[in-house]
Amino acid sequence: MNKKLFVLSLLVLLSLILSACGGNQPAAPAATNAPAATELPSSILRIGWSGKPDTLNPAYAFLSESYTIFHLIYSTLTTQSTDGSYVGLLAQDWSVSADGLTWTYHLKDGFIWNNGEPFTADQLVWAINAIMKDTEGWATLSSYTAGFKEVTTTDATTIVIVTEYPIANMDYRTSFLYAFYPPDFEKFSTAEELQNFGNDAPIGTGPFILKNFDKDTGVVLLDANKEYVDGAPKIDRLIFQTFDNTDAMVQALKVGDIDMLTSVPASAFETVKGFENVKTTAIHNSYFYELIINSVDPNNDPAPTGNPALADPAVRLAIAHSINKQDIVDIVFQGLAAPGDSIIAPAMGGGFWHDPNIKDIPFDTAEANRILDKAGYVLGSDGVRTKGNLRLEFRLQFPSTLSVYARIADMMADWFKQAGMKANPETMDEDSLIASTTAVGDYDLVLWSWEPDPDPDFILSVLTTVQFLEGGWSDSGYHNPAYDQLYLDQQQLVDKTARQQAIWKMQEMIFNDIPYSVLVYEDLLQTYRSDRFTGFIESPLGIESTQSLLNVEPIK
Amino acid sequence: MNENWALFKRNLFEFWKAFRRNKLGLLGGFLVLTAILAATFAPLLTPYAPTEVIRDVNGRGLTFAPPSVHAPLGTDDAGRDIWSQLIYGARVSLAVGFLAGFIAMFIGSLFGILAGYFGGRIDNLLMRVTDVLLVIPDLPLMLVLVATLRQMDLHVSPLVVLVFVIGLLYWTSTARLIRSQVLTIKERQYVARSRAIGAGHVHIIRKHILPQIMPLIVANTVLIISTAILIESGLAFLGLGDPTQPSWGAMLNFAFDRSAVTNGAWWFYLPPGFAIVWVTLGCVLLGNVLEDMLNPRLTAHHLESNQNMIAIQKREGE
Repeated sequence: MNKKLFVLSLLVLLSLILSACGGNQPAAPAATNAPAATELPSSILRIGWSGKPDTLNPAYAFLSESYTIFHLIYSTLTTQSTDGSYVGLLAQDWSVSADGLTWTYHLKDGFIWNNGEPFTADQLVWAINAIMKDTEGWATLSSYTAGFKEVTTTDATTIVIVTEYPIANMDYRTSFLYAFYPPDFEKFSTAEELQNFGNDAPIGTGPFILKNFDKDTGVVLLDANKEYVDGAPKIDRLIFQTFDNTDAMVQALKVGDIDMLTSVPASAFETVKGFENVKTTAIHNSYFYELIINSVDPNNDPAPTGNPALADPAVRLAIAHSINKQDIVDIVFQGLAAPGDSIIAPAMGGGFWHDPNIKDIPFDTAEANRILDKAGYVLGSDGVRTKGNLRLEFRLQFPSTLSVYARIADMMADWFKQAGMKANPETMDEDSLIASTTAVGDYDLVLWSWEPDPDPDFILSVLTTVQFLEGGWSDSGYHNPAYDQLYLDQQQLVDKTARQQAIWKMQEMIFNDIPYSVLVYEDLLQTYRSDRFTGFIESPLGIESTQSLLNVEPIK
Repeated sequence: MNENWALFKRNLFEFWKAFRRNKLGLLGGFLVLTAILAATFAPLLTPYAPTEVIRDVNGRGLTFAPPSVHAPLGTDDAGRDIWSQLIYGARVSLAVGFLAGFIAMFIGSLFGILAGYFGGRIDNLLMRVTDVLLVIPDLPLMLVLVATLRQMDLHVSPLVVLVFVIGLLYWTSTARLIRSQVLTIKERQYVARSRAIGAGHVHIIRKHILPQIMPLIVANTVLIISTAILIESGLAFLGLGDPTQPSWGAMLNFAFDRSAVTNGAWWFYLPPGFAIVWVTLGCVLLGNVLEDMLNPRLTAHHLESNQNMIAIQKREGE
């Protein structure tokens, strides 16, 4: 055993030295590999990502990777374009009645299933009805048909959707209602049967056809649909490949084993930028990191255990003044992010929803000290302010999933010290953190992040009172009846400008009450081999969006 | 009292005289001692606090900066001094290693002595427990345990969890070793005689058995500490440590999580690697030598020095 340890130590030493030598090697193999790829009979775009689809069954898919594949193999009535607006896909045009309850869609001609059969309006109506009527079975898609009353065809190319109340984000909802092939999904009698269906050979109308999905390795193989109505893809085949380790993924791109990455870690971005024949893209996105301040009602049952000083608006404002967002951007995200202010990022929906009137609270610990002095918090000999029983010492918890959180927490603890506050960083298992934030309120401050939907509805719902009381998504415990009412109102404002005004008001409430201090919006960082492919469309949807992959062509 | 002290001093001196001759042992002692000193005097040895961000003249953080005058070993992904983290990291790594090592030693010795001394059913029960733990692969079991315990909302630092998991699982080899020694010692005549006089179990264990196996325990503890440090680093590297404390394993975890390899930042992951090798190598060398010196059964004749032994063997060979 002793000898073993000795040998082990030597091995560790040796491997460290070897890995150090390997780090700085030039990109020599890339040049030799490139010609080999062009010799192949067809053009294959190989995409590397760190996740993989959980299932290809749209009834029960939870991961965003699954939806990337669905958008490639299925078509929807509408789809989000790369500028954030919604355009027709199966629909030629559409209109809504004056009362906002009846939506009429006119379909384009010429869509065919990839088994050769023509696509008909009846089949799409069947699909939407299936989702509407079996909300238990279609667990992941049924929220998009909530409030639908009746879906019918009036003629061969017209679909009418009647709703129970006006639905403001109809375009967004119809962009997730896939036209799936009815015979594939007709045969199930129970929700369980439907959800266990693998859908390994889906028949769709989209620009790509699924050839193979290996559940163990996560490899997804797609062929171009040469009959696609809007023009066939210019590449012949797509391969999605899963990598467990981001360093390995970056190396694979460098040597040319893969052609594109859907995500590059910020810490590696500058280096990847320097690779030969590789182009990187950094796009502002709506993914944000936030500091959650315990806002649970003290009368809640069970009572929250958060520091009661956090209920004082002065303390919240002082905390907001003690966060150097630019520093987080520069150091933790290597400049590849933008300082945040509102829960709706400027990148969402092409900038339509973000409130431009919000002026962020600047980093200013002198001002934080002034505010706390004025509010009566006296600096103690240990450097922590107190007022009566209140002491400005907080737990600062963060999930153990990302190292970014640990970095931000350490920096934040330093800034808090300058304002006479103390933050004790503490890592938590993500499940425990979910348990202590939602419905209980057993925390002071928490660092976390959200990946919002393309529509503002979801992220706005996160801060409603009902989401906390019923054990939903609310991790702040924010409770404001005016906000809740505005949330319900905006759901039914079919007029986009009216909805925008309501959503601006909601953002201002969050900004002023500070249940969340939005820290940064993280950029979407992607990269591809510019010596092999061209035509990627850079947008918040990513260069793996359907529009982008339809436009990509190989370099001859 | 005075006599005892003099005896102890003489024994210590004798020990040092013997130890001094052993080059590997000296090296091991040096490696361990420097690490302990570095951990103790960390604030004096480091130019920065481990979480302090080093900035250039414009106030921007110097991230992934190679070794320079400002930072002797360069900076990490967040612009913090590697050297300062390394020295403060010695505190965490050594503390976890020593605490876990002592817990393991205590449990192992207790199980070993009880099983060996009392034998019969107690022996059977304790050794079956030991066997079960011995056949389960350590690392996967620890991974599962640490991950489960962290989900249980115990409100303790992840480091405490690490100390207890390592300490409570790493005593099996010690228990077996001690048991076999106790088995031989308890059969000796003087033990039988004191039992005949009417000495109790506690007395026999304290006065006759413990002093005999103490050297073995000491040597084994040093070896277990090295394993504990390696395991702590391994678990922290896999993200099960405390990211707010700069242990060596946590540094490696950050280095790989934050693309140090892609960035060619060798100064980020080599120093903690070397530090782990430094301490574990030191403990192994020291432990081996102590085991040789303190355990009379491993030397053929305690009156002969090594040189004499070789000389005798040579003569016999001729």
